[in-house]
Amino acid sequence: MNKQDIILCLSVFIIALLVLVFIRLPKKGNVAIVYYDNKEILKINLKIDNTYTVKGYNGDVTLEVSNGKIKVSDEISPKHLCSRQGYISNSYESIICLPNKIVVKIDDSEIDAVVMLWN
Amino acid sequence: MELRKFTRLSMLLALSVVLNIVENMIPLFNGTVPGVKLGIANIVILFVLDQYGFRDAFFLSLTRVLLVSILYSGLFSVSFFLSLGGAVLSIVAMGIFIKITKLSTIGISVIGSLFHSLGQIIMVCFMIGEANAFFYLPIIILFAIPTGILTGVLTSELIKYFN
Repeated sequence: MNKQDIILCLSVFIIALLVLVFIRLPKKGNVAIVYYDNKEILKINLKIDNTYTVKGYNGDVTLEVSNGKIKVSDEISPKHLCSRQGYISNSYESIICLPNKIVVKIDDSEIDAVVMLWN
Repeated sequence: MELRKFTRLSMLLALSVVLNIVENMIPLFNGTVPGVKLGIANIVILFVLDQYGFRDAFFLSLTRVLLVSILYSGLFSVSFFLSLGGAVLSIVAMGIFIKITKLSTIGISVIGSLFHSLGQIIMVCFMIGEANAFFYLPIIILFAIPTGILTGVLTSELIKYFN
C-alpha cells in the first residue's frame, strides 16, 4: 500500500461520509408513496398505524405502519432484501423492491386523507 | 493466442465464476445492507489485468458475468443487468486508473470496488427509472473501501507469489 492508495481511500471515505451526513440530515416525513412499475399506486398517511397490501410483480406486498415509520413486512422475492431493510421514516429514504417492482418513498408534504389510486 | 495463455485464462475464468457464485452465498451483515459483498471474484480480474493487460481482463470479466448468470441467477434477470453494469464500469475504470496513476494493486482494487458500486446504482436507476437510488451510493461506498482493500491485499500477495 503506497501513499497514493492511502490518499485515495481516505479522500473517498471522507467525501462519502460528508455526503451521507448532508443528505441524511434526519427529517421526518409524514407521507409514504408507493410506486408500482414507476406508477404511483398508493399514498399512506404515516400518522395512522395500519397495514396495507399492494399488488407487486410476484404477488401481494404487505406494508406496515407504526409510530410514523413504515416497513415492508411481507413480500415474495428470492432474497427478501426489502423486508429485511426494516422501518424507514426519514425523507430521502426509500425501500426498493426490484423483484416486485415496488418502490416506497417518504414524502414530507401534507395530505388530508389516504388517497388510493389503484392501477 | 498462445496455447499456454489460452489455457491459463480459461482456468482463471472458471475460478472467477466459482468465486462469484461462492461469494453470492456469503451473506454480509445478515443481508441488512443490500448490494454489499466481498468482491473476491475481482481477485481474478485484477490478477489478469496485472499479468495480461486490459483486453483480456475486460473479456474475462464480461464472460464471467454471462456465465454466472447462465449458471446461477438466470440470463437477462435483474441481477444479471446489475452485475453487468458493475463489471463493465469497474473493469474500464481499473484499466484507465492503472494507466494514468501510480496506484498499487490495492488502490486499483479500491477503484474497481467503487466503480462496481457506481455501475450497479446506475443500473438500478435505469431499471426503476428512479434517481433516488443515488442516495444509497454513499453508504455502499463506505463498505466498498474496506472490501476493496481486502481484495487488493489478497491480489498483491497472489501476484507476489506468482512472480
